[in-house]
Amino acid sequence: MESPLIAAEIKTFIQTNILASHIQLDMETNLQDAGIDSFSIVEIILFIQRKYQIVIPDDQLLPENFKTLQTLARMVSALTA
Amino acid sequence: MSPLDNTRLPKKVVLTGSDCFHLVLDRHARNNRAGSNVMRIVFYFNSQLSLDKIKDSLGNSPLIHWLCNIRLRQGSLFGTAFWEYQDKGNGIILIEHHHPVSGEIPKSILERDIPLDEERFVNGDIIHYPFNKTVFVLSWNHILMDGRGIAMLIQHLSGMDKAKNRQEVNSFFPTQEKSTGLFAHIRNMYRVKKFIETSSKNPIASVAGQGQKEGKRDRSFHNRIIRFTPEETGRINRLAIRKGAKFGANLYYLSCCIHAVNRLYQQKAKNGAQWIPVPYDGRLRGSKGPIITNTVAFLFYRVQGAEMGSIEQTIAALSSQMTSQIDSGMPQQYGLLLNMMRHIPIWLYYFLITKGRGGSVASFLYSSTGEGFNHIETFFGEPVVGLTIYPSPTFPPGLTFSFLKHQEALNINIAYATGIIDTFEISDLELGIKELLLDSNE
Repeated sequence: MESPLIAAEIKTFIQTNILASHIQLDMETNLQDAGIDSFSIVEIILFIQRKYQIVIPDDQLLPENFKTLQTLARMVSALTA
Repeated sequence: MSPLDNTRLPKKVVLTGSDCFHLVLDRHARNNRAGSNVMRIVFYFNSQLSLDKIKDSLGNSPLIHWLCNIRLRQGSLFGTAFWEYQDKGNGIILIEHHHPVSGEIPKSILERDIPLDEERFVNGDIIHYPFNKTVFVLSWNHILMDGRGIAMLIQHLSGMDKAKNRQEVNSFFPTQEKSTGLFAHIRNMYRVKKFIETSSKNPIASVAGQGQKEGKRDRSFHNRIIRFTPEETGRINRLAIRKGAKFGANLYYLSCCIHAVNRLYQQKAKNGAQWIPVPYDGRLRGSKGPIITNTVAFLFYRVQGAEMGSIEQTIAALSSQMTSQIDSGMPQQYGLLLNMMRHIPIWLYYFLITKGRGGSVASFLYSSTGEGFNHIETFFGEPVVGLTIYPSPTFPPGLTFSFLKHQEALNINIAYATGIIDTFEISDLELGIKELLLDSNE
């Protein structure tokens, strides 16, 4: 699956369910700086697993994969390939 | 009278389910003359602060004005309690002190209550020490604000958020709640009740013990503060990732508390799982409100003896429970349960909570403010050199850990009841947590 499409879907999920409406996200925004905490990361993982029918393996649950929308989308794209 | 346009402030703010739970805790503290429900935030300065400057600064805040001009009104039968705002022109009460021991907070401040028949639910103390050092203490009744709320209040007072228009003033207060259907309520109540009963079933080890008469205990509270340098905090963060807390050090902090408390249980020859409710902020991340009301639900962790073999094992167990509870929407359902419970008359609510569980509320209480105070550099225009939160002294369980990070340096404020933890035990606990967090054996 294409990485930009995945990024757009994850962005919609985060902006609808996790972040306050005035906070804008782009591909490079540091998610932690935007207010994403450990509870929110769990919500994002659960969304990804449900949406793309994948299980994120332990060795991919790394802070660097959850840093920005871009790194998240890249990881999901590789797992769905 | 305040120069503010206070006509925009809401006349009535209904208590949330979580506020009502605190109302019950407050009642419990009063009925048992044990602890209180007052929280304090302490700012440390290496400079002199002027009383007039603070008075001016706080006097310009519409929110402080609102907090000093409200009365708690108990709702009629099956009605909900609410805050009634009536502008009597009350300003915040600030008391100035001079204390010889630098950094020490006088007991008279730490033991001062904010009872429910007050009109001012927030107050301040300025303590002057030798060598131009000063501390400012802001105290509030927990029924009105949670930890995230106070972080936003401090942001507002620091002038980071200037409440100049109607929309921003409104954002301090809760919006109207979405209505939930009766059947959804009943379904939620059943699921949450079942979950909590299973999760908290005995045996639970608690420092306060179980089913023991509280009447004979010494209920006075003390605090120990553990301070780490930014370098030590950096080490703690790296250890957290290495030991499995990959997305924030929170689970590592909690695991270290669990292990340190477990050592204490072993010394006291106590057995059983540990049951710890951990606050879960119900606001959208990055939001500027609401500041008023407790907007938290809880995650409930139950850690068995077999999961305490190592910090890594405990983190794995907590991580799995956190995922499962978030996946099943438990925090939201718990929030709905509390909202439903507030319609019960307060005396009945109190009866239901205190009579059903044999005195075991939790093994201990835990909270972390995360990044909420990390970047505060100045307050009242002066550089802040230190910051800590004194959690409300809740009894039982009589032991609370409050983690706060300020300018990349972690500190832990441990509030403990001397009737359940003596001086030697608290020193052991303090040393144990420090060793565990820094993994001194490595």
